[in-house]
Amino acid sequence: MDRNTKTKGLVNFLVLLAFGCAVFAVGQLANSLAAVVAAAFLGLGTLVAFVSWFQMRLEEREAAERMEIEELARTKTSSTLFDDKETAFFPARSSREQFEKYFVPGFMVVLMILEFSGAILFWRGLGKVDFTGIPADRMMIATGLFAGMALILFMVGRFMVTISRVENNRLLRAASNFVLLGSYLSILCAAAMVGDKVDFPKADLYLAKAFSVVLGLVAVETLITLIFELYRPRLKGKVARPLYDSRVIGLLAQPEGLVATAAQTLDYQFGFKVSETWFFRMLKERILQVLILQFALLILSTCVVFIEPGEQALLERFGKPVAKSEVLNPGAHLKLPWPVDKIYRYRTEQIQTLSVGFTPEKEEHEERLVLWTVAHSKEENFLVANREQTSAESEIAAAGAKKSPPVSLITVSIPVQFQITNLVDWVYNHENGEELLQQIATREVVRFLVSADINEIMSHQRLESAQSLEKRIQDAANAQKLGAKILFVGLQDLHPPVKVAPEYEKVVAAAQRRQAMITSAEGEAIRTNNLASAQAASVINQAEAARIKLELTASARAAAFTNQIPAYNAAPSVYVQRLYAQTFPRAVANARKYILVSTNTDHVITFDLQHNATDDFIRQQAEAINKPN
Amino acid sequence: MKKNLLTVVVSALLAAIFVLILFVFQVRQSEVAVVTRFGKPVRTQTEPGAFFRLPPGIESVYKLDQRIQSLEDPFTETLTADNNNLLTTVYVGWRISDAAAFFPKFKGGSVIEAERNLKEVVTQAKAAVVGKHPLSDFVNANPKDLKFDAIENEIKAIIQEKIAANNSGIRIEYLGIKKIGLPESVTQAVFDRMTADRKKLADKLESEGLAEAQKIKSSADREAAQKISVAEGEARRIKGEGDAVAASFLPVFEQNPDLARVLLESEALETTLKERSILIFDSRTSPFNLLTGSFTNKLAK
Repeated sequence: MDRNTKTKGLVNFLVLLAFGCAVFAVGQLANSLAAVVAAAFLGLGTLVAFVSWFQMRLEEREAAERMEIEELARTKTSSTLFDDKETAFFPARSSREQFEKYFVPGFMVVLMILEFSGAILFWRGLGKVDFTGIPADRMMIATGLFAGMALILFMVGRFMVTISRVENNRLLRAASNFVLLGSYLSILCAAAMVGDKVDFPKADLYLAKAFSVVLGLVAVETLITLIFELYRPRLKGKVARPLYDSRVIGLLAQPEGLVATAAQTLDYQFGFKVSETWFFRMLKERILQVLILQFALLILSTCVVFIEPGEQALLERFGKPVAKSEVLNPGAHLKLPWPVDKIYRYRTEQIQTLSVGFTPEKEEHEERLVLWTVAHSKEENFLVANREQTSAESEIAAAGAKKSPPVSLITVSIPVQFQITNLVDWVYNHENGEELLQQIATREVVRFLVSADINEIMSHQRLESAQSLEKRIQDAANAQKLGAKILFVGLQDLHPPVKVAPEYEKVVAAAQRRQAMITSAEGEAIRTNNLASAQAASVINQAEAARIKLELTASARAAAFTNQIPAYNAAPSVYVQRLYAQTFPRAVANARKYILVSTNTDHVITFDLQHNATDDFIRQQAEAINKPN
Repeated sequence: MKKNLLTVVVSALLAAIFVLILFVFQVRQSEVAVVTRFGKPVRTQTEPGAFFRLPPGIESVYKLDQRIQSLEDPFTETLTADNNNLLTTVYVGWRISDAAAFFPKFKGGSVIEAERNLKEVVTQAKAAVVGKHPLSDFVNANPKDLKFDAIENEIKAIIQEKIAANNSGIRIEYLGIKKIGLPESVTQAVFDRMTADRKKLADKLESEGLAEAQKIKSSADREAAQKISVAEGEARRIKGEGDAVAASFLPVFEQNPDLARVLLESEALETTLKERSILIFDSRTSPFNLLTGSFTNKLAK
């Protein structure tokens, strides 16, 4: 290893370090995103340059060691001293081998992680960034600085790349490629600055994204290199290509060596000269024609456009709608090549939905149970006029820091479905048709609700209200020439705010209880009336029975009396006595009878008829008998 | 030779593309372009198509969207004429009507900058107009008393006047009140009142139920009593009829009043003693007088 080579390696390292910082600084100055990613490339190049410079030092030490050994060998008669324990007496070579075997793969793993992380972070960050453009006052300065840096890097890079082609300078190549690549990245950054002035204001952002993609490709290449390193055939005496010498970077830095690079890769991987086959030779000779053909095919392919079912497209020629075919319907169409004719596709058949009064959940899941008392999305409250008279109690209940205005609140979740019916109006009249439709729909909902009867629209007027709202939104959209048709306005989820919804449910419960009480009373009334009717009928029937009985009895008595008269006349006293004797037993049959048959009439006998008279009588009789006169 | 021809063609193609990029710019149907030469606006291109330009560095092209753009001002709290706090937000449709006037007013023809300025004007105009109207102009049970359109027109007129005075190159196409609302503390008060209203309604319904039930029951009682009374009256009448019929047989008994009396008395006695009675008979009472004799002597023993 030449001492000068090591110096050049150090130069590469310092140049990459210095220009990496410079590109980053200028990028910050000019608000350039591409420059930040370019600086990351130069930073990775700095690491590679440092490792390659370190390896150069090891190889230099190994060369010096080899010279010393050879010198010693010439002075000794025999070299057997070194033949047996060769390794032990070549520490520099051993160090270099250990470095290549362990440190370099480890470094590659770190490099790969850095490249992957950088690619992902940059891509994500660029997707979210609010790019405000390049400040006009710094644009020219930044462009000049980028151009200047590109020039210096190009000169240094070309020199180093040329030197690296010389035998024994292969370790210079990796870092030199980074230097040359840095030059190209800088010139692209400068171009992106100018791009802002040539109708391409987001050139810097797109360039930064392209750089991120390239960084990702380099990371993939590093991964593949590491995998292939395990299976690469190792031929004795064959000098290995440094792992950190990226072919992608080499290709970008020296695109003219595309075929050579591919051939080198294949030669290196397969271990024989693939590049000397007829196919590669032909490819090398006709690469330009192939590229031109490909370019021509690419341009030609832009002359045919296929519009998918459900889509429509606007056709513009130099930005102007093409007369009579400004809207392309589904099918195949011919057009002039890009960039003369351009098409802009829209899914016009698709039914689109916007939400009024709520923000749909990001993760849609079908709700099995939708209740007023449970918020099922981020809901908003809308004002409605309070038609009910507020009572004094209500005012007291509402007493607080703020007086309650005579309004109520309602929560609505209204999906509005629409379809684009006039693409020209939809695209050319408004910058954001959907946003305007959302505003119109919200306005009409607000206007509808502020004078609506909350109870009506929540119950029997719901369908009519939805239809009325649909018409109002459609009319407003037509007035703005929006080119959209309102297909559906849903009022299915319209209810009091969650905080007061339980009270509304209590009213419904109270109404049910009211009805229950009335129904119960009605049932009771029916029962009372029925019983009364029955009782009345009973009274009348009893009266009827009594009447009949009375009449019949009187009739029967009269008849009997007529028959009894002759008997009576025949034996008046006996008849009466017989009548008495027949009647008396029947009459007294059920009566409790006490018959006093005692002859001692001076006794006064007292009966307590409330008690068992029999016992009293027996006791008194016993006393009377036992009592001495 | 063949290779040289190919190189020439490719070079020419690349050169043509390069020249095209440098000297031509496109304006879309939806755009208007302002061309500046060394930073000074020299012309505007309002029609779509491809147009010539001098290369970057000499001329720059700024493309502006000439379609109607919509902006919303913040949901701001304002006091109405009757001292109610009301939150309102409006949306405004505006477009660049004069790109030459618009471009220098806002840095680099920035739409963001223009919207920022316009928002301030809109918010101020809105506050001024809302303060002149009572809450009932915004929320009213009677749709005829709502003054949305008038309020929107008033706000729009103020904005247009201001923009015209500034010659901003902007035209207001439409303005609408997107949403109205109440501040959080007032919202809570409204919730409390709504709750009280509902409670009142629930109490009303329940008491109505009780009252109605009571009415129904008392009405039923009255009807029942009426029915029974009518029935009893009818019963009396029927019995009277019976009495009348029975009385028609009385002359039969006049044939022998003594017998009739005896029969009636015996029936009366029988009827009277049907209930539980206690009778104390003297042994002289017939037929117990039969007891005085051998039976009495046996008992004495």
